Amino acid sequence: MDERSLNKKLSRRDFLGITKTAAIGGVVAAGVIGGVAGYVAGTGAAPAPLTVTKTTTEVKEVTRTVPEPVKPLKVGYIYVGPIGDYGWSYGHDRGRRWADERFGKPVESIYMESVPEAEVGGAITSLIEKGVDLVFTTSFGYMDPTAEAAAKYPDKHFVHISGYRSGAAGNAPENMSAAFAEFYQLYYLNGLAAGAVTETGVVGYVGAYPIPEVVRHINAFVLGANYAYKKRTGKNIKAHVSWIFEWVAPEKARAAAIALVEEKNCDVLAFTEDTPAVLQVAEEYQKKGRRVWSFSHYSDMKEYGPTAHLTGQIANWGPIYLEFYRMVATNSWQSVDIWTRIGDYMPWRWRLPEEKSTAGKPEGTVYLAPLNPVIPSEWQREIKRRYEEMKELLFEPFSVEGNLGEPIRDQDGEVRIKVGERADHDMLWSMDWHVEYIEERLPR
Amino acid sequence: MGTIYLIASLGEVYAERSGVLNLGLEGMMIMGAAISFIFTIAYGHLVAILMAALIGVLMSLILAVMAIHLRLNQVIVGLALTLLGLGLSGLITFPDIRRRILSSLNPSLPESMLMIQQAEKLPEIPIPLLSQIPLIGKTFFTHNILVYTSLILAIIMWFILFKTRYGLIIRSVGENPSMADSLGVNVFLVRYVTVVISGLFASLAGAYFFIGFHPFWREGVTAGRGFISLALVILATWNPLRAILGAYLFGGVETFQYRLQLFGLGAQSPYFLAMLPYIITIITLILISIESIRKRIGVPASLGTPYSREEA
Repeated sequence: MDERSLNKKLSRRDFLGITKTAAIGGVVAAGVIGGVAGYVAGTGAAPAPLTVTKTTTEVKEVTRTVPEPVKPLKVGYIYVGPIGDYGWSYGHDRGRRWADERFGKPVESIYMESVPEAEVGGAITSLIEKGVDLVFTTSFGYMDPTAEAAAKYPDKHFVHISGYRSGAAGNAPENMSAAFAEFYQLYYLNGLAAGAVTETGVVGYVGAYPIPEVVRHINAFVLGANYAYKKRTGKNIKAHVSWIFEWVAPEKARAAAIALVEEKNCDVLAFTEDTPAVLQVAEEYQKKGRRVWSFSHYSDMKEYGPTAHLTGQIANWGPIYLEFYRMVATNSWQSVDIWTRIGDYMPWRWRLPEEKSTAGKPEGTVYLAPLNPVIPSEWQREIKRRYEEMKELLFEPFSVEGNLGEPIRDQDGEVRIKVGERADHDMLWSMDWHVEYIEERLPR
Repeated sequence: MGTIYLIASLGEVYAERSGVLNLGLEGMMIMGAAISFIFTIAYGHLVAILMAALIGVLMSLILAVMAIHLRLNQVIVGLALTLLGLGLSGLITFPDIRRRILSSLNPSLPESMLMIQQAEKLPEIPIPLLSQIPLIGKTFFTHNILVYTSLILAIIMWFILFKTRYGLIIRSVGENPSMADSLGVNVFLVRYVTVVISGLFASLAGAYFFIGFHPFWREGVTAGRGFISLALVILATWNPLRAILGAYLFGGVETFQYRLQLFGLGAQSPYFLAMLPYIITIITLILISIESIRKRIGVPASLGTPYSREEA
């Protein structure tokens, strides 16, 4: 009952959504997907705040009145931000289109963007009323409402991104799965690139929120930077972290990045913020003659910093989505908790020799952005070697091997990972300590 | 960072001094940013700034007609304009629509420019000699043209408002419009002019924010900075010179907290520093509600009240 009342509340963004639908209707009518124009226009007139795109491989059959031989799979997506954010929601929408294209059978996917976390229950209800069979909710804060909806609609299927509740884990109904594309291995490789090019021996990180996901990314990056820098110079790396307490806030990320460069002399900046802001700052310093480097995050951002772009972490959610499409279409649903890393969903998921390495090329769900030739060739080889090793989990960044044979200590000097140990899933998902090379304390 | 607040509040000071509250500031600001985004890609910075100024004038004319001529509630009209600006800016920059606008504006643009979400930044112009001063030279004398212009404008606008006959007319219209009218001042004309000035400056502030500060487009890019500028007008007690101080206080707090974090401060409670400017604004509001202070500062007495001749 509560969810229904929420659903009726028409926010400004929802209102805007209607305008966009009308606009998309126009574009579609212009002939992009000619066959579905009538359908989209019909949706445009409906009061529901939905942006609709329909992809089908059998356009001709839709335009004719002949009954369709196969009922198309209906999929709904809920995004926390606008698809124009260039980061998180943009990435998920790219994944949606990727999965639609490759599914090979009629599929109709609907997405709702900028849905506040408090209103997701209502959004799910309206998608179900639209007749979707499968719902993807793509923000951590959507987790509990998704589990509630899964209990309420046992014949529908739900996939929550970036959480820990699923039927497989035993803390949600069987028709709910969890999935996440994990970056910490790629952050370690970024760290290797950072340690290989830094001249000041100081690296910086602009962090979104001090939660385990971001903390393990920072630690992985700093471990990698220390590995390369110490091997080059024999000295420990120095690392600084500035928190902006937002996921999407380019102006704040800019201010934090400038502070890291000006106050602490950092010359490589990694970040968790969903726009290329930090890379843009690095590029501006390069134009002024100061060598500052940064990375891609979620998408290939090279065009925002052609000089300053070292490499970076990129995600393609498409293969994950496609797997769930297939499960639902073939009635072979099984609740799973998917945590994808390097190697997963790649056509060839075993180690290749360095010279044949696919590091820097799109593959699987998480992969490395193109490597800047400014990275010395011996370190490019090292990055490729580690990338290939991680495809079959032969190397783990959070191990003694990733830290030049030394045990991994936290800021208080306490040993967190001893000789012979490797971080496991539970340790990574609850990481609440910084490695010793970071100067600032972790906010609590 | 402070410049966006300074430019926007300068115009707003004039509008409010003449008795019109322009709550559409946020909408005009974001439209200025959106227009400058599109036109910088299509035709470069100069055209972008001019077109941004134009959109501000057009939007403020809507406010002027509604609030001055039709005597509608200024708060409602202003908020409506803010919502209009937020929606319209999102619409014209929506990827598919932006691509079509851009390719019709300048058909020679390469494909990559139609989809990119950033525009070229305004170049920085170091002031000769002064920018060579060690330590402070780079911080204070290496900025883009809009930063310098805003500071010069603040001084000129202060001079006009408090030292010339025109300023006196504007202030008298805001103080007691019927009295001004009886002395032969065209109240409507004065208010039209000041409202247009506020719209012009608001959208210029948006253009500065986009091409001068952080040239990356996303929906809702100004993130409430128009409303912060409104608070700044109160903090500056409707004085362009004090607006300079206030603007750099507001802007400084926004950027300073990340520097403090690197010295072990502020990361534990980032929200305290961020709310400081607003606490100061509230204190200012309390102070100016005291009659004696109010008189000395000269709060525009008929702020927010539409003027009609018949009732006079």
